[in-house]
Amino acid sequence: MAIKKYEEMNALELDILKEIGSIGGGNAATALSSMMNAKVMMSLPRAEILGFNEAIEKMGDPESVVAAIFVEMSGEIQGIMLFIVPQTFSDDILFRMLGKTGLDLLELEEIDTSVLTEIGNIVISSYVTALSSLTNVEVELSVPQFTVNMLGGILSVPIAMMGQHSDRIMMVTGDFKIDEKALHSSMLLLPDVESLNILMKKLGVS
Amino acid sequence: MAKKISVGIADMKIARQEGELITYALGSCIGISFYDPMIKLGALLHIMLPEKSATDSNILKYADSGIRETLRKLYAFGAVKKRMVIKIAGGAKMFEMKGPGGLGNIGERNAQNVKRILMMEGLRVSAEDTGANYARTMSLDVATGQVYVRTAGKPERKL
Repeated sequence: MAIKKYEEMNALELDILKEIGSIGGGNAATALSSMMNAKVMMSLPRAEILGFNEAIEKMGDPESVVAAIFVEMSGEIQGIMLFIVPQTFSDDILFRMLGKTGLDLLELEEIDTSVLTEIGNIVISSYVTALSSLTNVEVELSVPQFTVNMLGGILSVPIAMMGQHSDRIMMVTGDFKIDEKALHSSMLLLPDVESLNILMKKLGVS
Repeated sequence: MAKKISVGIADMKIARQEGELITYALGSCIGISFYDPMIKLGALLHIMLPEKSATDSNILKYADSGIRETLRKLYAFGAVKKRMVIKIAGGAKMFEMKGPGGLGNIGERNAQNVKRILMMEGLRVSAEDTGANYARTMSLDVATGQVYVRTAGKPERKL
């Protein structure tokens, strides 16, 4: 049966997305690990159907300032990939890659934002490569975009996209940890509804 | 300190005499404050998309149906059109998007449609802070009618 709204997804379908998140996230953690020369762990991913406000609350204080790398997916899967980098995670990356310390997200220089964008780009590409080879779908990725902004404002972009047909959205999330430190950064996979049906079909579920 | 009343996405709250209506981190969404100074009646609406689709029952999600519903309630509570002060904030372009559905300039389309609907309702926007590429938090102090907007890394300002 085709999924028309996110809330129609059943437990099995959500489990499959969780598995996709796990494989994608694992691949991304490996890439991050070799880039940063550190042990990177990925938490168990979650696939959840949430209300708009609930989705933002889950991710943190809507007014907190975070960096985000944003990539649009097109081709057989359409949607958005977001890599959210809070201050502590940015500190850690910029120290490891550039030896810089104490850089406020709002005062980053061009070299700093390029490093963060490139890290985000590699993490997202590895995630999507895994997703794509697992499910045998073609996914094209847009040029990554970088922003430092309020978390709620950043999340309003996928919410507006997914909220066109429904009052609930579905997101697959996972957190990375570096060297056992609780420096969370999050990866969000936000496919549109038609793409979910394609994924399920390719995996022989529907 | 005035009591804070939080307005979520696709949400609207009304307060009379006192209280601070606040909506956090508007990205491409738009916050619309309505205020009748004579009776100190205020509303804050947070819309997400420009136009209601026929099948959707969530009227506060859209500029057109959201504004009309808010006005209906305010007039029922005694607000008068002539006295109404309306301010808007948000409608940012957080990312450059090329994807399907024309969502790329959703913020701009939201802002245009909000203004168009208000004009159709015979109302004028007295102040706005829209566009650009950053998120905004907007609040309305119902005791004074003062509207404030804040963005990351900048001091709060009056709108």
